[in-house]
Amino acid sequence: MGIISLHELNSPNISDVKPPLLQDALVTKLAEETRDKGILLAKLDDLLTWARTGSMWPMTFGLACCGIEMIHAFMSRYDLDRYGMMPRSSPRQADVMIVAGTVTNKMAPALRLLYDQMPEPRYVISMGSCANGGGYYYYSYSVVRGCDKIIPVDIYIPGCPPSAEALVYGLMQLQRRVRSENANKKVILKT
Amino acid sequence: MFSIEEARKHLSDEIGDKVLEFNIEKDTLVVSVPRIAIAEVLSKLKSSSILKMEQLISICGADYPTEIERFVIVYNLLSLSNNFRLLIKVSTDAVSPVPSVFSIYKAAVWYEREVWDMFGVMFSNNPDMRRILTDYEFEGYPLRKDFPLSGHMEVQYDEKLGKVVYVPVVLEQDYREYDTLSNCEA
Amino acid sequence: MSAVEKDIEEERKLKPFLINFGPQHPAAHGVLRMILEMDGEIIERADPHIGLLHRGTEKLIEHKTYLQSIPYFDRMDYIAPLSQEYAFVLAIEKLLGVEPALRGQYIRVLYSEITRILNHIFCITTCALDLGAVTPTLWGFEQREILMEFYERVGGARMHTNYFRVGGVKEDLPDGLIEDIYAWAVKFPKFIDDLEGLLTNNRIFRQRTVGIAIASKEQAVEWGFSGPMLRASGVAWDLRKMQPYDVYAQMKFDVPVGQTGDCFARYLVRINEMRQSLKIIMQCIEKMPFGSVMCDDLRVAPPKRAEIQTSMESMIRHFKLYSEGFHVPKGETYTAVESPKGEFGVYLVADGSNKPYRCHVRSTGFAHLQAVNEISKGYMLADVVALIGSLDLVFGEVDR
Repeated sequence: MGIISLHELNSPNISDVKPPLLQDALVTKLAEETRDKGILLAKLDDLLTWARTGSMWPMTFGLACCGIEMIHAFMSRYDLDRYGMMPRSSPRQADVMIVAGTVTNKMAPALRLLYDQMPEPRYVISMGSCANGGGYYYYSYSVVRGCDKIIPVDIYIPGCPPSAEALVYGLMQLQRRVRSENANKKVILKT
Repeated sequence: MFSIEEARKHLSDEIGDKVLEFNIEKDTLVVSVPRIAIAEVLSKLKSSSILKMEQLISICGADYPTEIERFVIVYNLLSLSNNFRLLIKVSTDAVSPVPSVFSIYKAAVWYEREVWDMFGVMFSNNPDMRRILTDYEFEGYPLRKDFPLSGHMEVQYDEKLGKVVYVPVVLEQDYREYDTLSNCEA
Repeated sequence: MSAVEKDIEEERKLKPFLINFGPQHPAAHGVLRMILEMDGEIIERADPHIGLLHRGTEKLIEHKTYLQSIPYFDRMDYIAPLSQEYAFVLAIEKLLGVEPALRGQYIRVLYSEITRILNHIFCITTCALDLGAVTPTLWGFEQREILMEFYERVGGARMHTNYFRVGGVKEDLPDGLIEDIYAWAVKFPKFIDDLEGLLTNNRIFRQRTVGIAIASKEQAVEWGFSGPMLRASGVAWDLRKMQPYDVYAQMKFDVPVGQTGDCFARYLVRINEMRQSLKIIMQCIEKMPFGSVMCDDLRVAPPKRAEIQTSMESMIRHFKLYSEGFHVPKGETYTAVESPKGEFGVYLVADGSNKPYRCHVRSTGFAHLQAVNEISKGYMLADVVALIGSLDLVFGEVDR
């Protein structure tokens, strides 16, 4: 059979397999297939979702305290670079936006503008209780009670602030989610 | 460093005719002066060869709604050469402006903007009287005691208009005000 | 010159080039927005727009009890959380007339110095990152992780520990922590040397900072600068020396003072302050007395766990203390501490109830940022990045 089910390799059920191992297995299988048959067949869906989970480039959107933990996640100890995740300053180059911190009324239009500039498929991670739902500043006159009032959110990370580990876990959860979704739903292919 | 008594004597020498009241709050001297005289008082204190109040640390407001002149503006001065702090107070109401002191201390501009933003107290002659902390379209003066904690308006994204708009505030969870005060001594 | 040419000439003169810097800019250290009026590459006017992180803290504090308000101070300057708590706690202590426990004082000084190092590493390395040096950040953040572990071990949280209390600190140091801090403090000078090796004589770093954005002594005083910014301009002023609080009076340390007032002087002052902080940390470890970390004033000190289980009165007192909170007598105070960024002050008005009547926060960065317009005039656009990096801005504190 020349059909490789990427889905088989990427299905959420085998989440206990570490991503590097998963990728190794995939590469080995791909190499075998090409050597034997010289042709590869795969579901486009699976191929797309697989491609999307690798090297998700987050946009640095450090608004407040959570931004510091986000920086820590990119730095030496947690080193998100191992997942191919590099902070991008421009929304045009980013796949995922990490809303790290309190979104205020004054910041909300800018947040939406940046989200609109991101290319599809785009994902949003809401980091910390302020971004999730106002948190400690819920009753304040100048705080947006949850950044999901402004932009659609895929993953919420609780904590005030969530530790860098929590963010890494959140990003892995996002990868799982991407793997399990129907690729065509998220992207609008124009012919 | 002056003792409070020395400082009080020096202050009486310099600006004695302007002072309404001397107060000692903990270890800080608090001087109340009339609103009209604030610029003159500060310029005298800054140029005084004894007191040398070189730095304006901050200007802040406070709201006492029961008073006739409900807003108190506190000028916080520091003398680096004498290691001495001084608080100067003026009071005002919502309509009478306070003379700006930016020509004496350059740092006053933003502090006055902040007081204007938070309390709606005007400063005459301030060159830049825009709001500073709140949103560009914000209405009201948040730190006034009669301003509700959660404000009147909040923002959300409007799908139809395709932009972020202001809507009246709706709290999913009301503010939990517990009456924890009791009359027994804790 | 024809009339049309004249018009064009006028047009060119009248309309400087406007650049909108931020609010989402990697070098803005958060959410600063600046409107820059440029003549070519030269800055003519900078108009910082702040308030993009204005969370209404001062209003919220008026609606919370004193104990509930302390965590707001963590979240103000989130790079140096405990220094802000320190100011608030000292202000309440002053109003209440509470003398904190001696061991509590030592722990607070110890942790405020750890906080200072935590802050300075962040400030120096991110400033370097903005100027193109990546390695200092990678090295420095590993040290920050170690310090945040110390935070975690006393308060349970990596950043917002909410550790200081009126009358002392929440809990005593856990076993073995002081030894670990000592072991780290012995090794830390090596890191400072390494950091200096990367930056101090680095040609690019020097070119980007020496002689850039100079604030003269007069300007620094006039604009209300404090902390390293003031000292870099040549004013020997440190609240820890001048108006010592807690046990700072017994600590032996020097105050580094710069001369030139440029970005490089600020960098040098911060590097040397880290060395001095280390001295204070060592003295704290040496002199740390035994005993309670909380004063025995019944108004603020919670009863011990063992007491609660045996005595009904203690149980009631504990419940009252954490629901109603303590009442602070009528009065007002301005209390300032030397936070890593400079003078962080709290103007607190109490009306005798369990909530603050008014709490104004004198933030350090507010005064520094205000001077950007004057300091950056005549420098290049790229120098603004160096200036902002050396100002050490944190918007949680500037906007409150």
